[in-house]
Parts: sequence; structure tokens; C-alpha cells
Amino acid sequence: MAQPSNELRPELRLALRERLLQAGVAPRHVRRYLAELADHLADLRAEEERAGRSPADAESAALIRLGGMEELARAMTEKRQLQSWCVRVPWATFGLAPLFLLAGAWSVALFILWSGWKIFLPGADTPFIPQVDEVANLYFQAGRALYFGAPILIGWGIGLVAARQRLKAFWPIASLVPIALLVVTAQVRASRSEVPGGIGHISLKFAWGSSAQSFSVGLYHTLVVLSLLVLVMVLPYLVWRLQRALVRSA
Amino acid sequence: MAGRETNPNFMNGVPELLILRLLQQDEMYGYEIVQAIHTRSEAVIAVGEGVVYPVLHGLERDGALKSRRKTVNGRSRIYYSVTRAGSRRLAGLSEAWTNLAAAIQGMLAGGQHGAAIK
Repeated sequence: MAQPSNELRPELRLALRERLLQAGVAPRHVRRYLAELADHLADLRAEEERAGRSPADAESAALIRLGGMEELARAMTEKRQLQSWCVRVPWATFGLAPLFLLAGAWSVALFILWSGWKIFLPGADTPFIPQVDEVANLYFQAGRALYFGAPILIGWGIGLVAARQRLKAFWPIASLVPIALLVVTAQVRASRSEVPGGIGHISLKFAWGSSAQSFSVGLYHTLVVLSLLVLVMVLPYLVWRLQRALVRSA
Repeated sequence: MAGRETNPNFMNGVPELLILRLLQQDEMYGYEIVQAIHTRSEAVIAVGEGVVYPVLHGLERDGALKSRRKTVNGRSRIYYSVTRAGSRRLAGLSEAWTNLAAAIQGMLAGGQHGAAIK
């Protein structure tokens, strides 16, 4: 006998998946639920065929026994413990977690800057020297890539999480704006204590624009960069929303 | 006034109880569990076939069950079995249900509790 196909009908699979994700069920539970339902349906279909039904009748009987869309969805959405963290505690997922991630990435980037200064430029007053040897350059560039790349990657990660959970734009944007604000106002400063060969210090300060600019010019500059940065960070999420809108309208 | 435990839904907790009881004896996958409930209850208890999985996922999330993927006859299945925490939960549920069943039986027989429902 041929092995029964273990696939849910595409329309049922799609509708159930969307319904569960929109209700906040964690994507891994949704994936597993759909796979288990497909296996279960294949078993039911095989059982009905063994009982003498035609393949078409066996399919219909199996679907009835499996349960309707409403029943299958409700059973899952009623289990609060199966909801994803970004639905249960969105303020932590979209508020605190990205800030902690950014703080961690920037701590590592600043450590790279500080240790590079200590290793490759022990006598220099600042680590921001344009001419350094190749190894030192690679080392400093790694830190720089982490410093500038981390916020973008965090932004894309937030967009991905929001898209996977079919979330509306509020939480990803509410999460990205503070991150972008930190990025555009952050200024890395290096100083060395006055004594000869003194200890180097790296610090992070937050300010509107540079000290050479007036407040209004600094604010304007900051807002322009902030808007561009938010746009870059939210771009994958926007592309996903656009794609969904196109699929729905088709 | 002391709080009183209520039973808003008599079927509340039944699927969990039955699943934990079955899986304590042997590891099973979803389809096997539904068939076993149907057979062993002599078709008196019928659970929705697809809705058994949210119960399984919930129990696993609570630490009462664990699962593993196993390939049998060329088909990959997710088998569930009871953990130590699941055994404790089963004991608690069994006791609660035994007490409830005894109380209902007593009322139906018209004993001590029978007067209360006259």
C-alpha cells in the first residue's frame, strides 16, 4: 500500500498558522502543532482507508475527526503558556532586551578599543589615530564594525521577531526609536590621566550633535540621522508588511 | 470567610489526567494517545483528535512531559513520556478526581449529601 501523504490541506494549514500566530502562539509551537496535525491526519486517513472507504471519503472522514479550524485554533490559543514572550511581555522583549543587547555589544566594542589602545598604541594620547599597522587596523575595525553594526542587527532582529509573530508596527517602532536615539547621540571619548604613561579611559557620553555645532543645528542633524537610521533598522519589517499586503490584495 | 474550592467545569483537567495516566505506562505519540483513550474508556470518553496536541504541548511546557522524535516505519513521530514532575501532577489530579467522583456518587445515591439537593 502506498504511504499516505502527511500534509494538511494548504488552505487549512495557512489559515490555522496565521490564526495561531496572530493570537500570539509561539512560532515553534505553531510549527510543531501543524506537523503533528499533518501526521495525525495521515494516520486517520490510512485508518479510514483500511476500513474500506475510498481515498476521497477517507480524506473527508479524517478531516472531520481531526476537528474544524475553529476548534483546533481555540484549543491552542486557550493555552496561555504556549504564547510567545513577545506577546506575553512585549515591554521586556521589545523594550529591555534590545537595550541590554546594545549595552552588551557596545561594552565589547569599547573594550576592543581600550585594549587595542593599550596593546598597539601604548604611548599615544588617543586610540583615534588614522595611521596604524595592519593588525592593529584589523583589530580596531572589528570593534568599529561591532559598534556600528550591532544597532542595525538588533533592529533587523526586532523586525524579524515582529514579523514572525505577525505583530503590528507599534512594538517594533517603539523599540527601535530609543535604540536609534542612543546611537545618534552617543559619543565615544578617550582620555589618559595626566601622569606620564597614565591609564587610558574610554567613556560613552550622549549629546545632541558635536560641541562645535549650535544646539539647533545639532538637534536638526540628530533628527535627520535618527530618521534615516530608524528607516534602515525597520526596513526588513516594512518590506515584509508590504509583501503581505501585496499577497492579500492578489 | 474561608474560600471554597469550586468545580466550574467538570471536564476541566480530564484530558490532562487521562494523558498523564496513559503516558505513565508507556511513551506514545498523539494518534496512539487518542486511540488508547477511545479504546480503554470503551468509547465513553471522546477527546477531539486534533486538540490533544495543545494539551500535550502545555504539559510539556509545564515540565510534566518530555518529548523525543523517533522514526518508526519510515515516519518521524514525536513521542511523549511523563517526567517526575508529571508523576506528581498525576497523583494530585487522581486524588482530586477520586474525591470528586466519590462525592458525586454519594449525592446520586442519596446519602449524606443527598438531602442537600432535595
